[in-house]
Amino acid sequence: MKNSFHVRLFLGILLLFAICFSIYSIYYKTKYWGFSLSPKQTSNVWMVEAHINFVADGENPITATLRIPTKNRGFKVLDESITAKGYKHKKLSDRIVFSRSSTTGDQNLYYKLMVFDNTLGKDKLRAPAPEKIKKPLWNDQTVTQAKQILHLSKQQDGRNSIEKLIKFFNQEPMDPTLKSMLPVQYSPKTAIEFMMNLLSLENIPTRIARGIKLEEGQTLYPDLMLEAYINGAWWLYDPQTGKQGLPDNFLVFQRGETSLLDVTGGTASSIKFSMQKSITASMNLAERRAQLSKDTGLFNYSIYNLPIAQQNTLKWLSVFPIGILIVVLMRNIVGIQTMGTFTPMLISMSLVKTGFLTGLACFVAIILLGLGIRFLMSKFNLLLVPRISAVVIFVILIIHALTIIGYNFDIKIAQASVFFPIIITAWIIERASITWEEDGPVNASKELLNSLIVGIIVYFVIANAHIRHIMFAFNELNIVILLIVMLLGTYTGYRLTELKRFAPLVKK
Amino acid sequence: MFGLFKKFTTPQKLREKGILGMNARNFHIISKCNPRNLYPLVDDKVTTKNLAIKSGVQTPDMIGVIEHQFQVSNILDMVKNHSEFVVKPSHGSGGKGVLVIKSYTEDTFTLPSGKIITYNELYQHISNILSGLYSLGGRYDTALIEEVVHFSDIFKDYSYQGVPDVRIIVYKGYPIMAMTRLSTACSGGRANLHQGAVGVGLDIKTGKTKKAVQHNIPITHHPDTNADLRKIEVPLWREHLLIAAKAYEMTGLGYFGADIVLDAKKGPMMLELNARPGLAIQIANGSGLKKAIKKIDKKYPQNLNAEERINFILS
Repeated sequence: MKNSFHVRLFLGILLLFAICFSIYSIYYKTKYWGFSLSPKQTSNVWMVEAHINFVADGENPITATLRIPTKNRGFKVLDESITAKGYKHKKLSDRIVFSRSSTTGDQNLYYKLMVFDNTLGKDKLRAPAPEKIKKPLWNDQTVTQAKQILHLSKQQDGRNSIEKLIKFFNQEPMDPTLKSMLPVQYSPKTAIEFMMNLLSLENIPTRIARGIKLEEGQTLYPDLMLEAYINGAWWLYDPQTGKQGLPDNFLVFQRGETSLLDVTGGTASSIKFSMQKSITASMNLAERRAQLSKDTGLFNYSIYNLPIAQQNTLKWLSVFPIGILIVVLMRNIVGIQTMGTFTPMLISMSLVKTGFLTGLACFVAIILLGLGIRFLMSKFNLLLVPRISAVVIFVILIIHALTIIGYNFDIKIAQASVFFPIIITAWIIERASITWEEDGPVNASKELLNSLIVGIIVYFVIANAHIRHIMFAFNELNIVILLIVMLLGTYTGYRLTELKRFAPLVKK
Repeated sequence: MFGLFKKFTTPQKLREKGILGMNARNFHIISKCNPRNLYPLVDDKVTTKNLAIKSGVQTPDMIGVIEHQFQVSNILDMVKNHSEFVVKPSHGSGGKGVLVIKSYTEDTFTLPSGKIITYNELYQHISNILSGLYSLGGRYDTALIEEVVHFSDIFKDYSYQGVPDVRIIVYKGYPIMAMTRLSTACSGGRANLHQGAVGVGLDIKTGKTKKAVQHNIPITHHPDTNADLRKIEVPLWREHLLIAAKAYEMTGLGYFGADIVLDAKKGPMMLELNARPGLAIQIANGSGLKKAIKKIDKKYPQNLNAEERINFILS
């Protein structure tokens, strides 16, 4: 008794360590490697290419400054690359400066950026208060009209005057007063600038943010957003809808007065953005992130650095310990008698390969047919090894038959039979028929049914996408399971079924 | 739903009653008292028998052993001095594969039920034994040819088919619990409690009925023969206990079940030993093994010989 207490204590302490380690490791992996706790299969990864084009004037040294996304919480930058032949480039926190001595001809500079959705943190941007608000130089009449527009806009719904104003601007048909103030042909930029002027009358600091909407295709013009400074932070507003906050798929390149692209020593400069979306498995993404991060040391020795094929095998393997844990729980804590220790495990593995209902139907069919043949064979009084071998061959033939029949009649259920492990199935049949002969059909069916039930329970656990993801992404949890299984090895209490079995003993 | 709950008891109550659970049996008792290297001594009936002969414990006399397929045809030669014999698998358990021949000629063999089988059928049966049909885990086995036990009439009315044996659980050499299993029509002539055989708990000091259960429910009369189960009193009880106790020195196992039959002329004989006896005996006795084991660990003297231990128990 004392000995088992020490064993338990030792295992308990190890378990505690393993749990602490796992918690730390999960934290580390989610925080630094970007692993997620949920099995979101894919993330949107955007390849954004900014193509700068201008004609060098051939006289002055060339400098091209491109504003680039910075401090962006909506997207995380995975990778970036600069292609600029003959140019020196310097990347600063918010811009890239390309430079070279004078040259002639068409100049093409590329800045490639790979970003992915970070659904978290699409909110305000904390920033220092802007300088004094620039008021427009309008005459009294214009100011009166502007004030009228502001007044009219108050009737719109919206949380604040900015939202209200944007809604007012996008009214259909447009308010006549407003129409009269705007040029006949106006660009989105003109509209935003007009809105900024109006808002300055209300003493709200505003600025333009330029960026691109991440939609596949190309665009010559960056999209514009209105940014307003409210309560110590800059808030983005969509000038079309008045919606506050960064819209989905919007990548801000530049904010405020500075221009997106400055070129000296060149003329006819233009910038073109191309966007391409690729859906990548989160795990691969995480891999890239980890590779980009500074601490690649650990990652290189983790399974996530292996080739995908091997990773998939390991992914498949790393869910087994939890299945084994369930089998142990079922046998030693619940006390269910199954046919062989890991038969349920093997059944559930086959079910994963075949699909649940098809697999179940198939399994039952193979076992029943196999048992029938096994009983016919018992009439021959064969010796053990040839007998089991014969059952194996019969199982193969049954699978052949089912698959061919399934194919010809397009019954998917029958086709799934291919995935059953032949030897294991034959062995289950042999076991079942011996139990049948020795302990009667009731016990044999009971054991088969128990194995099937435990197998189904294990199936639902190992087929669960969340559990599979977590067990693979955070494979250190398998150490925790190992220690739990070992601790269960010292469990000497009653099994659940014994509470029923021995119940008559305590009844008075 | 409530009905289902009523069928269950609480661990607390079982603990109070001193019931031994499967996990506790495996962890605290078997893995500590029974070193694995001793298992072959009880798994193989030929080995057990030889050990018993050495220790002066009575077992049914061995006529011969058939180990290889080519020896099967020697069977008639082997039994020529005996008018009746038993064939059993050496690694079998629970009476599987046991064939009793009450009389025979060159090619007909009569079973106790009166059924006659041919020489070929007997030959096939022995071949099956050798191929491992009845052995644990289907390993190759040997066939044991033994003298027939002439069961005492005492149990005649208490059994539907066959004759019951007495199972005695021995812990550290002390018999702690005993029962006899009576086959019923419901159990198909088998002596397994979970198949519907009647379990009769026997008082360890007297060999008299303590309690009788079928399907976990207390009963007073045999369901088929209607004999009063409360009147069972195993004769030569001290001898039964002594055989069980001696098996402790014989095998070195700290915890085992001894199956003992009563021969009308020769008295109690040891049939087989089981290093992993089941827990159903607790239900038949209406009491827990853990309690009995604790008592022995705490109060019973160690280092006594078998006789002294039995005296200690009976005193």
